[in-house]
Amino acid sequence: MFFQPRHVDEALEIRGRMGSDVTPLGGGTDIVVTINKTSMRPKHFLDLTHLPDYTHVVRDNGNWVLSAGATFSQLGKLPMKALAAAAMTVGGAAIRNTGTIAGNLGTASPAGDGCVALMAIDAEVELTHATRGRRTIPIHEYFTGFRRTALLADELITGVRLRTDWRTAWYKIGKRGSINISLVCAAFGMSPEGGVRMAYGCVAPIVMRTRLAEEIIEKDGLTDAAIEAAAQSVMKEVAPIDDHRASANYRRAMCGVLARRLLRELRIKNTG
Amino acid sequence: MHTNGTSWRLQCTINGQPIDTEVEQDETLLFFLRDRLGLTGTKGSCLEGECGSCTVIVDGQAVNSCLVLCPQMQGRTVETIEGLANGDKLHVLQEKFLASGAAQCGYCTPGLIMAAKALLDENPNPSEQQFFEGMEGNICRCTGYAAICEAIRSAAREWK
Ligand SMILES: Cc1cc2nc3c(=O)[nH]c(=O)nc-3n(C[C@H](O)[C@H](O)[C@H](O)COP(=O)(O)OP(=O)(O)OC[C@H]3O[C@@H](n4cnc5c(N)ncnc54)[C@H](O)[C@@H]3O)c2cc1C
Repeated sequence: MFFQPRHVDEALEIRGRMGSDVTPLGGGTDIVVTINKTSMRPKHFLDLTHLPDYTHVVRDNGNWVLSAGATFSQLGKLPMKALAAAAMTVGGAAIRNTGTIAGNLGTASPAGDGCVALMAIDAEVELTHATRGRRTIPIHEYFTGFRRTALLADELITGVRLRTDWRTAWYKIGKRGSINISLVCAAFGMSPEGGVRMAYGCVAPIVMRTRLAEEIIEKDGLTDAAIEAAAQSVMKEVAPIDDHRASANYRRAMCGVLARRLLRELRIKNTG
Repeated sequence: MHTNGTSWRLQCTINGQPIDTEVEQDETLLFFLRDRLGLTGTKGSCLEGECGSCTVIVDGQAVNSCLVLCPQMQGRTVETIEGLANGDKLHVLQEKFLASGAAQCGYCTPGLIMAAKALLDENPNPSEQQFFEGMEGNICRCTGYAAICEAIRSAAREWK
């Protein structure tokens, strides 16, 4: 069956009733690739793209609230540097016009650029069930293992909340300028209270934060010595693998390079 | 709304024509256009969103038709390369592609033109950066892009 609910309650009811038997469908940029390339065929689809307000992006009390279906094209216009820059590195324009933030979180790839950017700003993910209601969890509790998440089989991702007052920085290392899967990517954020987040993609089974390095900067500030100590710590904390895209050694070295580069950028720039 | 079994009654608009027909729930828009409607201008190549040869415009936005399931097009407006010319009068992008010699084998051309149309409809005067962002999802393996960029730039100058 293919379900195309016109109201979120109907979508939640179908998901609550059918659980993992039904596949939520956003932009399809992950699911339909799998359909085209493998013999996998979801038996039942839950098309979320016709829900009213599914793509809404609104301000709420100093926060941004992204509806689950906010596309990369929309995120690319937000004044949050790491998230906007990450979004604009995804695919080409046609992918960015359809690919959604919930789809990125649903796939939960260790190369998920949107996921990495959200980790750098302590985003919160809203997971909703038909009768149990909505729960909001911090993004760092959302990823639980390789392509495993805190989303329960009878819930839908309904939104993402972001604070707007963090300074952020982003860099993605890939092989070319377009349609570019990360070899390593990093998003860093600093809260107005001095909290530091250093998130990396493609260097562990899940997108990860290098917490020991974060503590070094939180304690000592963005001095040259602290930046170097943080970079050294990052290279110990990450756990990359060799694969067809890059070697573990290269990735580890680049994590150090990105730590220095992005921490210096945060030191220079005051906004975004 | 939902399917009857796996069959979906699709109602949408394609190149200005109302469509009302049964589709399979996991049929992609690309093969629906090509195999069922005979609109073979839209090409399929990588089937994973990397090459752009299947680009069409849905509700004003460039989309990879190989990654869209037909039922998702319910109520939507789809434009393909076949919808551009007005009778024998070519669309300005088509004219400029001809004038600039922007096609060699031609396989990528419909996708390039649709991506360019979506770009220029949104912003007839794109910066270098915006031009790149709008066109980066479309690959040409013959021409080396110079003539393609020239064609799109000269179409932009006459955009209405
Ligand atoms: C050519 C190409 C280039 C790409 N480049 C990048 C890149 O550079 N960086 C990157 O991170 N990704 C990239 N991707 C992957 C993909 O575009 C992203 O992961 C995107 O965010 C997926 O979103 P979607 O809406 O298309 O997801 P879908 O394919 O619709 O869904 C993906 C998964 O999420 C689940 N899901 C979707 N919405 C919900 C919801 N509301 N609640 C619960 N589950 C949900 C689905 O069931 C499915 O498991 C690329 C893909 C292609 C085809």
